[in-house]
Order: sequence, then C-alpha cells, then structure tokens
Amino acid sequence: MKKLLYRHETYVLLVIIVLAIVITAINPSFFTVENLFDLLKSTSLMGTFAIGMLFVLISGGIDMSFTAVATVTGYTIAVLLLKHGDSMNMALVFLVAGGLGILLGMLNAVFIYFFKIPSIITTIATQNIFYGLLTVVSEGKWLYGFPEWFDEFSSIRVFTLYSETGAPYGLSIITVIWFVLLVISWFILKHTVLGRSIYAMGGNIGSAQRAGFNIFGLTLFVYGYMGLMAGIGSVIQALLVQTVAPNSLVGKEMDVIAAVVLGGASLMGGTGSIPGMILGVSLIAILSNGLTLMRVPSQWYEVVIGLVIIISVGVSAYRRKKITRKRVITESN
Amino acid sequence: MKKKMFVVSLISLVTVLSLLAACSPKPVAEEEPYEIAVVVKITGIPWFNVVETGVDKAAQELGVNAYQTGPAQADPAQQVKIIEDLISKGVDAIAVVPNDAKALEPVFEKAKEKGIIVITHESPDQVGTDYDFEAIDNVSFAQSAWDQLVRHMGDSGEYAIFVGGLTVPLHNFWADTGIAYAQEKYPNLTLVTERIPCGEDQELARQKTLELIKAYPDLKGIIGFGSLGPIGAAQALKEKGLTDQIAVVGNVIPSQAAPYLADGSLKEGILWNPADAGYGMVWLANYLLEGNEIESGVEIPGLGTVTVDGQVVKLDATLFITPENADSLGF
Repeated sequence: MKKLLYRHETYVLLVIIVLAIVITAINPSFFTVENLFDLLKSTSLMGTFAIGMLFVLISGGIDMSFTAVATVTGYTIAVLLLKHGDSMNMALVFLVAGGLGILLGMLNAVFIYFFKIPSIITTIATQNIFYGLLTVVSEGKWLYGFPEWFDEFSSIRVFTLYSETGAPYGLSIITVIWFVLLVISWFILKHTVLGRSIYAMGGNIGSAQRAGFNIFGLTLFVYGYMGLMAGIGSVIQALLVQTVAPNSLVGKEMDVIAAVVLGGASLMGGTGSIPGMILGVSLIAILSNGLTLMRVPSQWYEVVIGLVIIISVGVSAYRRKKITRKRVITESN
Repeated sequence: MKKKMFVVSLISLVTVLSLLAACSPKPVAEEEPYEIAVVVKITGIPWFNVVETGVDKAAQELGVNAYQTGPAQADPAQQVKIIEDLISKGVDAIAVVPNDAKALEPVFEKAKEKGIIVITHESPDQVGTDYDFEAIDNVSFAQSAWDQLVRHMGDSGEYAIFVGGLTVPLHNFWADTGIAYAQEKYPNLTLVTERIPCGEDQELARQKTLELIKAYPDLKGIIGFGSLGPIGAAQALKEKGLTDQIAVVGNVIPSQAAPYLADGSLKEGILWNPADAGYGMVWLANYLLEGNEIESGVEIPGLGTVTVDGQVVKLDATLFITPENADSLGF
C-alpha cells in the first residue's frame, strides 16, 4: 500500500476515476460500452505513437520527428494504394509503412549516435527535412478515394453490438491492433534483456556503456521502434479517416509527449512503463471526450486540459518530494 | 580533421543554397513589374493550392510578379514573420489571408509606413488593411449556409457548428451572422453548444461528432466551416448509421466531398472558387498600384463586378456543391 503511494500512476488513476464519476454524473452516456469502444478506437492513433515515444523517453532521448515520419509513411502508402490498390493487401500496407518508418527512425539514431547531437535538436532537424521534402514532393495534395477493401478493413469489428437506435458498434480491429502492440511492447520492456538495457541506458548512459551495453545497438532499436510505431500509426490514421493529408499530423508531437510524461515517463530517461503510459493517454482522451459530453463550451477545452495535466503531475511530484524528505529526516536521526 | 569536416559541410550547404536560389526565376531588371506577395494561412493544403492557381493566372495575365507564400502551419506568429521579411524585401503590395486578424495589425502598420499596399482576404473587419477582398458577400453567404442547413434538417431542432479555430475571423463572422439570422428567421432551431474548433482537422471532427451524438441525442444538423469539418462529421455518421437522422452541410472541397455527397452522409456544400479569390486579390492589388480608385461597379475580368462597402471589396460568387456538380467543378 505504502509502495503504491510512491507511484505516480496511482495518482493518474485517481484523477481518471474522479473524472469518470464527474462526467458520468453529468452525462450518463459517458459510462456506456458504446462510448468506451468509440473512445478506444479514436485513441488508438495517439496510443500507438505514445508506445514509441515511451521507448525513446525511457532511453533518455526524445523524438520530435515521429509525426513527420508518419506523414512520409502515410503518404507513401496512400500513393501506393491509389496506384496499385487492387494488387495490395493490408499486410503489405503495414509492411511498407512499418519498414519505411524503421528506416527513417534509424536514420535519426545514426545522427544522434555518431554526431553526438542531442536528440531533440537532431529530431527537430529531421522533422523539418522529412516534412519539408514531403511537402515539395506531394505539393500538399490530400489523397483520398482508397480501394474499397481498405475502407472495409477499417470497419471490421471483432464483435458487434447494437445501440438502442440500432447503430452498430463493437471492438474495432483498429483497437485490437493497438492492444497487440501494447502487449508486445510491455513484454519487451518488462521481460527481455533488451528492455531492461533500455532502462539502464536511460538511467545512466555512462555507466551502461562501461557495463558493456551496446549503446549504438540500443539507440538504433529505440529510434527504429519509434519509427515503426510512427509507420503503423500512419496506417491507423489512414484507416480512421480514409484521407491522407500531409499537414494533419505535424504539430501534434507535444500532445503525445505530454500524454506519455503524464503517464510517469521522465524527460530525464530511465523511468516509464506501458501501464503508466496507457493511463496517461487515457486521461487525455477521456478528458477531451468528457468535456464535450459534459457540454463544456469549446473555448474552455484547452484551459481545462492544461489544468488537469498540471494538477495530476503536480500532486504526484509533491507527494514524492514529501515522502523522500520524510525519509531523509528519519534516516538522519 | 573535425575542422575540415566542418568546412566541407559548410561549403556544400552554401552550394546547395545557391543552386536552389538559382532555380527560382528572377524578374527582368528593365522596367520591373510590380511585386505582389500573397501570404496565405498555411501552404501546401489543397485549398490554398487552388488559390495559388488563381494567383499565377493573374500574374501571367496582368504581367506582374505575383506569387504565393505562407507558413507551413496555420500559425499567426509565423505569418507575421513572413510579412516582416516581405516588408524588408521591399515588395509593392502584400495580400494576406489572416490566421489571426489582431496579430497582424502592428505589421500592417509597418507595411503602410513603407508605402506598401495591404490587401486582406477572409477578414472583413481587419484593422490596418487598405482593402479587404471577398469572393462572396459574407452576410448573404452565411445566411445561405443556414438556409442550406434548414433545407436538409427542417426548420426546427438541434444543431451544432464547427469552425476552423476560435480566432479564424471569417468562420466566426459567418457563425455570428448565421446565428443571428437563425434567431430571426428560424426561431425553432437550437444551437446546442458553443462552436467547436475542429473544422481543419478531419480526425478531430470525426471524434467530436461521435461525442456530440452522445451528448445531444436529438441533434439533427451540423454546419461546418473549414474544409475538413463536414467530411469528418460525415464519416462519423456513416460509422454510426445516422446519415438519415443528422444533416451535415458546410465548406468542402468538391472532389473530396463527392463520395460523401453521393452516399448521403453529407447533404450539400457551400463555397466559392478559391482560384477566383487568388486572382481577385492580385487583380485588386495591381489595380490600386496603377493608381486607380476602386468603386462599386468596376469589373474584374472574368469574375464579375464588385461592390465596395467601406473597406470591403466583394464579388458575389457563392458556389453550392451538390451530388450532381461535385465531380465537375475541377477542384
């Protein structure tokens, strides 16, 4: 129990529970299976990016370029779908987007490792390069009108229920993809040497290097994984809206970073977990969903979101500080 | 070694930059044509790509050096920066589609001190502009949009409004005008909540529509300003099988809207041809630079006669986008 109080995640969970109660009290349609499934489907996009961001943050880096990477991979698959849509299938789409994402992510890793440029600078630069080149090539055209099978895939449900009005809903294939990614990533972080090495690297890169960790390999993996998530995310986005607009993702990096940090990852590296990240992403998603359901006027959205972030991070940081101080005092006695 | 590498990369950077600079066409030195810069809200989106075709057409027909530029994101600060650069460069006229009307006032002041002609578009109440050019009469455009909504949802019931952003001048002007008009003419329409800023983000518009359906189960209509709002809403309705219960109308790009219009998830679109806006801005700037006075009844070749109302110069070119014409409009 005491241990739980140390944990940042506990506070985020508390905020979520309080929020859920308040929203449901005001509008009972929040706490329905239908809303839950809709929310999970919409959150899958941000949630997928957040997985990659979590890995990068744990390793002690940051990636500002993943939205640009996702824009490039999204655009590439959109062009392929429009040109050779009939001879493609979903697996190939994921393969192309994921593969290209990994490549671009690893390019980041190479810059960061060999030139020793701080990751934030490197990835701001590559964001501009990737996005800039894409704008030149694409001329900013929106791509839409994908083959029917691509649209049909997006509406697959693992099971289907019907609301009172007869509208179908259920667990979307898109949510399932996100869940699978979550489980794999959780396993890597928690139960593999690779995962533990990423924590070691983020905790103290000097010690990790002296202890014999392959820092280059780890850097490649972490940024490559972020690239993979960016690639898969771009497919999810294309599935969700059936349009690829080159300017629709760049600029949203901070939302993802905020959600992951809210979930307990530190910008200093070394900490963070998949369950925490899920809580962080959920809090932001529930908040934005709940504000509309509670009929809050739109001008207040951003204010409320900012306040909730600062309160939940602040309370947990304050508690931790108090607990550590108490410990220091008792130990010195 | 390190120093050498630095020098090499510096040299290559300089080479690349000068090559790129050489690519862009330079105006002929003798008898320099007027330089007219059009600064849009955001570059590289289809809407402003079509605007650009109008700018280019005007440049060619009028023999001026007109071109389009703008920030990569719809960011007021970046737009101000670009205009400052254009002022120092010494252009003859600047035509701006503002992201934030207020943010531009100081920089417009500066342009005027230098004798640069300032034209705005989609910002009828802009302070500091010489003239604001509108391809449509904004009041009648907004009223037509509400008439359109009523045509498809009936004249009573609940509806919601999407705008591109809460500081986008024109979207909010339309919303204000339309709401006032509805109170007069359609007293049984009820606006369920404040306007929602999701009109330029399809994914967000889809999500907000799903939420609105739950927050307001009796919702019967959505009117969207910003060309991605109605598409996102239509998608949400399709997902929920509610295309018969809720009518979506508003700003759309015809070619993107065509499939949604065809399956009924989107009822009708309202717009003007963005190429006309691009052409009109450049034409007006050139007309003023040549020392003419603009007044009602003057004809813009190919676009029609203008009405001048204070600082607003307007055409009346409202375009209704229906399932029948969406495929044939060419943009």
